[in-house]
Amino acid sequence: MNKTMCTYAVALVASMALIGLSGCSKKSVQSGGDSQSTQGTAKGGGAGGYPDTGVQSGGGGLRGLDKNPSEERVGSGTMLAKVDPSSNAGRQLDEIRAEQAASAAAGLRDVFFAYDSWTISEEGRQALSRDAEWIKSNPNVSLKVEGHCDERGTSAYNLVLGEKRAKAARNYLVELGVGANRLSVVSYGKERPTCSEHAESCYQQNRRGHIVVKSGK
Amino acid sequence: MRQAKLISVWVGGALLLAGAVGILESGASDVFLEATRPDFQKISLGIAGIQNGGGPDWLGGRIEEVLKKDVKRSLVFDLVDLPSLGIATSDIGNGTGNGSKAVFKQVAEKGVSVLVWGKAALKEAQKDADVNMEGFVYDSGSDEVVGGKRYAGSPSVVRLMAHRFVDELVFRYTGEPGIARTKIAYVAQQGAARELFVMDYDGYDARQLTADGFLNLMPQWSPDRRFIVFTSYRDRHTQNIDMIELATGKRWTLISLGGLNITPALSPDGNFLAFASSHEGNSELYRLDTRTKAIQRLTVNPSGDLSPSWSPNGRDLVFVSDRGGGPQLFLMGSDGTNVRRLTFEGDYNAAPAWSPRGNWIAYVCRTQKEYKLCVISPDGQKRMQLTTGPGVDDSPSWSPDGRHLVFSSTADGKSHIYMIDADGKDIERLTFQGTHNSAPSWSPAS
Repeated sequence: MNKTMCTYAVALVASMALIGLSGCSKKSVQSGGDSQSTQGTAKGGGAGGYPDTGVQSGGGGLRGLDKNPSEERVGSGTMLAKVDPSSNAGRQLDEIRAEQAASAAAGLRDVFFAYDSWTISEEGRQALSRDAEWIKSNPNVSLKVEGHCDERGTSAYNLVLGEKRAKAARNYLVELGVGANRLSVVSYGKERPTCSEHAESCYQQNRRGHIVVKSGK
Repeated sequence: MRQAKLISVWVGGALLLAGAVGILESGASDVFLEATRPDFQKISLGIAGIQNGGGPDWLGGRIEEVLKKDVKRSLVFDLVDLPSLGIATSDIGNGTGNGSKAVFKQVAEKGVSVLVWGKAALKEAQKDADVNMEGFVYDSGSDEVVGGKRYAGSPSVVRLMAHRFVDELVFRYTGEPGIARTKIAYVAQQGAARELFVMDYDGYDARQLTADGFLNLMPQWSPDRRFIVFTSYRDRHTQNIDMIELATGKRWTLISLGGLNITPALSPDGNFLAFASSHEGNSELYRLDTRTKAIQRLTVNPSGDLSPSWSPNGRDLVFVSDRGGGPQLFLMGSDGTNVRRLTFEGDYNAAPAWSPRGNWIAYVCRTQKEYKLCVISPDGQKRMQLTTGPGVDDSPSWSPDGRHLVFSSTADGKSHIYMIDADGKDIERLTFQGTHNSAPSWSPAS
């Protein structure tokens, strides 16, 4: 199985809801320790494991006005499954706090960007140079480069912009000699701001590449 | 031989014609089209109150309030105030006696087309409290009580009864299913996390859909209203595109390619999922065949391509690309062919949403450093700015009848969800709770 095939099989494996596929590495299977259902035991989904998303004639249709109307029983329209808000939030918070503590202890610095830009400034280079020193002297640590944006612009385009910022920072760290395999990249767009005021003083704090020491895996 | 050639030409012509008609009208019926024309004459409608058939006094008033708002939002009816027209309705009774006839006569004389009244009761004696609602409709054109509805259900579905009744009215007079029973999926801040929620189209009855404790973004409905597809960061470090079944909460990962996996959109027939992914370098558009699970790449470009939105006939996609510098809207066939740029005005145009009738594409346009809503016709000939003032407007999504848009805006400070008429009139705020509500997606009609 070649590399491209494998990449696509990764998608397939995930969509097959954890039915193992031999041939690719085990890393392709999504996290299994989650209490919420990833078990796609869907009917009619065939090998794909999830149900048809096609148009179906809805059961909640209108019946028309009637001169002698018979009684219609009105049920809750949504039929939404109940979620337990407490299940994962606590675990996520704990892990985020651990990452923040580890990153703060390492003294890693953020790199800041201009509006609509992903170019690394001279100041940004200096910050990343110091970060690279620490990373190189701590060879067993895995890191995540987060790309963030200010609140202006659309949510979707800011995710693309955030990725450009994260990759620019990652690429500079690699240029400085950090192994690319130690740095994962993720964009949070404008979805995880550090401040929320509608002012440039806040915007500039949110336009950043943020380097995080990964906890656990 | 000659005949065969003729036939193939004719078939080609028919297909071409079908395509053009589909884009302009999306196969709508005459009645449907008429009600969407800007000069469409709204049908005057008066509500003669919901009488107390036994139970608390607030019940009738609450139902009447929902009815009135739904009637206004339908944009099919013009809600008239009967007392200000000098029409007294206290003798309406059950619609059959002389008192009723006198009311009908006044209604007809004052030019009111439709009169609605009803009765509601709450029986608490039983183990499970039960609400009964009756609604009736007099049509002055035909001078008769054309019919009514009788609903029963728990007190928690009182609003739904009113929604259902107004949808019946809209259906009766336009042949459309109405929007009063539609839902809006959206993202709301929950502590440090952003989770998916679903609420009624009027902002009531919000229900939480996910509880991952981190980030879920960009919900979009399946055409059958059973599923929501969205971008999920379940483990914080990677982005996948997931699908959740509303009734069961069951969840599937559809796309987990690595990199960005954002802006999912199911085709109108549900057979394809268009999305943006950066797993091959920069953000490109792909489509997943939901039956064969094959993934096809649609764009090949060193710039960012994202935010696909399907034309109602499923043949075309509008999307965002920054291949010219800033983000602009582009069109292409849903197989990735025939790419052409749609927007040329301004240096930032993004988040497109193709209207259910096909005649407009709503999007976010940057104007005087603010991010506002615009609409443009798919041929690029007509363009309108719908919102003005400060604040970032984002994520426009059409009502299934094409008469409204829902969107998020920071116009009041925090990001909240608003509804606006498709012509830019009558902005209504829908969310008031919480610190952040965004990414609204309007459900299809049922």
